[in-house]
Amino acid sequence: MRYELSDVVDAIPALVWTVRSDGHADFLNQRWCDYTGLSLEEARGAGWQAAIYKTDLPVVLDHCRARQATCVPRAIEAGMRRFDGTHRRLLMHGSPFRDESGAIVGRCWYVSHTDLEEQKRTDALLAGEKQVLEMVARGRPLPTILDAVCAVVEAAAPGCHCSIMLIDQSGTRFQRGAGPTLPSGFLDAVDGGAVTYESGPCGMAASLNTQVIVPDVTSDAWWNAEGWPPWVLAHGFRSWWSTPILSLAGTVLGTLALYREAPGRPTVPHQALIEQFTHVASIAIERTQAEAALRRSEAFLAEAQRLSSTGSFAWHATTGGTTWSDQTYRIFEIDRGTPLTSELVHSRIHPDDVAMFDAMVDRARRDGNGLDVEHRLRMPDSSIKYVRVVAHATRDDTGQLEYIGAVQDVTERRLAEDTLDKVRSELAHVARVTTLGVLTASIAHEVNQPLSGIMTNASTCLRMLAEDPPNVDGARETARRAMRDAQRGADVIAKLRGLFAKRGTVTESVDLNEATREVIALSNSELQRARVLVRTELADDLPPVTGDRVQLQQVVLNLLLNASEAMRGVDDRPRQLVIRTELDDEDGVRLSVQDAGVGVDPQNVERLFDAFYTTKSGGMGIGLSVSRSIIARHHGHLRAAQNDGPGATFAFSLPAVGGVDANGSSGSRDSTACPEIL
Amino acid sequence: MTVRSLVSVVDDSESVRESLPDLLQQYGFATQAFASAEAFLASECVGQTQCLILDIAMPRMTGPDLQRELARRRYHIPIVFITAHSDEIDRPTLLGAGAVDCLFKPFSEAALLDAVHAALRAG
Repeated sequence: MRYELSDVVDAIPALVWTVRSDGHADFLNQRWCDYTGLSLEEARGAGWQAAIYKTDLPVVLDHCRARQATCVPRAIEAGMRRFDGTHRRLLMHGSPFRDESGAIVGRCWYVSHTDLEEQKRTDALLAGEKQVLEMVARGRPLPTILDAVCAVVEAAAPGCHCSIMLIDQSGTRFQRGAGPTLPSGFLDAVDGGAVTYESGPCGMAASLNTQVIVPDVTSDAWWNAEGWPPWVLAHGFRSWWSTPILSLAGTVLGTLALYREAPGRPTVPHQALIEQFTHVASIAIERTQAEAALRRSEAFLAEAQRLSSTGSFAWHATTGGTTWSDQTYRIFEIDRGTPLTSELVHSRIHPDDVAMFDAMVDRARRDGNGLDVEHRLRMPDSSIKYVRVVAHATRDDTGQLEYIGAVQDVTERRLAEDTLDKVRSELAHVARVTTLGVLTASIAHEVNQPLSGIMTNASTCLRMLAEDPPNVDGARETARRAMRDAQRGADVIAKLRGLFAKRGTVTESVDLNEATREVIALSNSELQRARVLVRTELADDLPPVTGDRVQLQQVVLNLLLNASEAMRGVDDRPRQLVIRTELDDEDGVRLSVQDAGVGVDPQNVERLFDAFYTTKSGGMGIGLSVSRSIIARHHGHLRAAQNDGPGATFAFSLPAVGGVDANGSSGSRDSTACPEIL
Repeated sequence: MTVRSLVSVVDDSESVRESLPDLLQQYGFATQAFASAEAFLASECVGQTQCLILDIAMPRMTGPDLQRELARRRYHIPIVFITAHSDEIDRPTLLGAGAVDCLFKPFSEAALLDAVHAALRAG
């Protein structure tokens, strides 16, 4: 039983021994012997006393005797020499030895439970680690944190100086990290140095991703070959231990190095210390770098939002909770931090857009579809802003509907578009007025015709009234004809004024057939004068299009006059012009003007639509350019193509209002039923 | 019984075809109106007309075209051209080809009568 108990006691990870009141030990466990480096034979009797600090030995012996007298368990602290010659403070717990009846017999158990210095060291390291991690959590500057790491390491490893070098973003250069106790100039020499295995122990550790131990620079063949020892020795160091600091992903972030004035290798506790604090340093570096990256990203985002006048927002559809970015506050001209109430947001919506805005919000709550709307804001100074709101619906952690979106101030764009519209409108007017010159003779004809009728009928009327008796019925009829002709003249003037007066863009439903007939009537005389035979093939029941009637008529007029011009020199065939309306393949409305003129060069057909490009001697070259621009703004496209036979065809398609019915009847065209030769 | 001179009017304008014959009738002329040169050529009036009031610009066969066709068919009808275009008349050519006068719309009653009487005298 005795031997079995001894085996058990040997297995306890603590120093266990018995000592009598006279100071003689008769049992010491194996761990006690290992710890002190004394054999059991050497330690027995009074031999154990050689392991106790001389200054502490009387206290320990007195304690043994006092314990025997009081039999009260107590603990004392005493110093012991360890197997490696180092002295450690140990806490010794003593308990009296009792027999089976519980009576105290003449000796005590003394059990060293704790290596106090190890405990103190562990406590200090834990406190240091906690302090560093708190600094990380509080967002302290990285140099300050790394200085603290070095300080903790140096406190736990007396005789050592600690440095931390960082690797820059390129991964090729060292950056100063920390080294609070290193000699002046030491870190300066390393700062900015290349991260290569030849640049020093830290460079080797970082580039090879392994710990580099230089026990004695004076005898190290590699570093002697590199010429390092004089420089290192000049700073007072003989040994240098560098360890890479690794990120969670295994990337080398930097190195933690310990330097000693004496030669030597790191002990087990040194290695534990290095392992612990390279890890802490990696946490600090990664966290700081991540925070810096986040701050940089947020700064970029904020700057991008400011530059693009785009703010972001999150809106919880159920609770109405709203989060805005700084730029969104700026767009709405609301001070950041002001509670975002529905009333406050509504106060910024333009009164004319409130109903639309509320309908959009209701729809978003109900349908959960994405948003893409443009509305106006009215600022406190009554200025108007145009904003575009784009958002997509998502679900939060609890499954509730939430919108994440952007609001862009598009005021400048809208104002620029308005200005552009105005310029386009003026250019279109210039083009129309230019056309007016071409039509002067035709216009004179259209006015002179009814004027002639008026004069002739008036003369006839006077003659009839002068008869004896007066021919009143005849006079009445001729007066009626004179009035009819006067009305025709007035209609011509009204149409001219409508087509050539300066005006803004008016969007309305336009019957393209009717608009085309008016243009033909206005230009008919001109076309006739040019000996152009006009054939109209206008589709029955053509659906209306949405647009500016005058601008569309301008395009048709331009195409008619261009076609006439293209046939000016044609004498060997009829100067036939066909103007046709029909449904196109996409249920839009197509208008084409086909001539029998000189045709177009397929290679240069697109150049015809360039501004100031003209094939006519007296042309400005803006007609087709303006026409294409007008059609584009009506969501259509104006194209030109060479005919299979002589001449060319210019055509445009526009979206129809409301499309056509299922039978397509609204687009049916009966060209044989409605040929009209003018 | 006085035989009234037949004045034919050829013009694609309905207003002219209505008003001009009425006025000429007030001065004792017999009148006929035609909407096109082709219609006039196809009518019996082509051989009876003593004065032709003819519009210059008409679809297909124009006034000068009709003038040439009548000459080709050897009809010597005095012609008074009328037109609403001031810049399309090659007056010397028309007069050289036998036209009596050219009137620009709108023209006065007196100018019309002077031209018609001149045509009748020429015929």
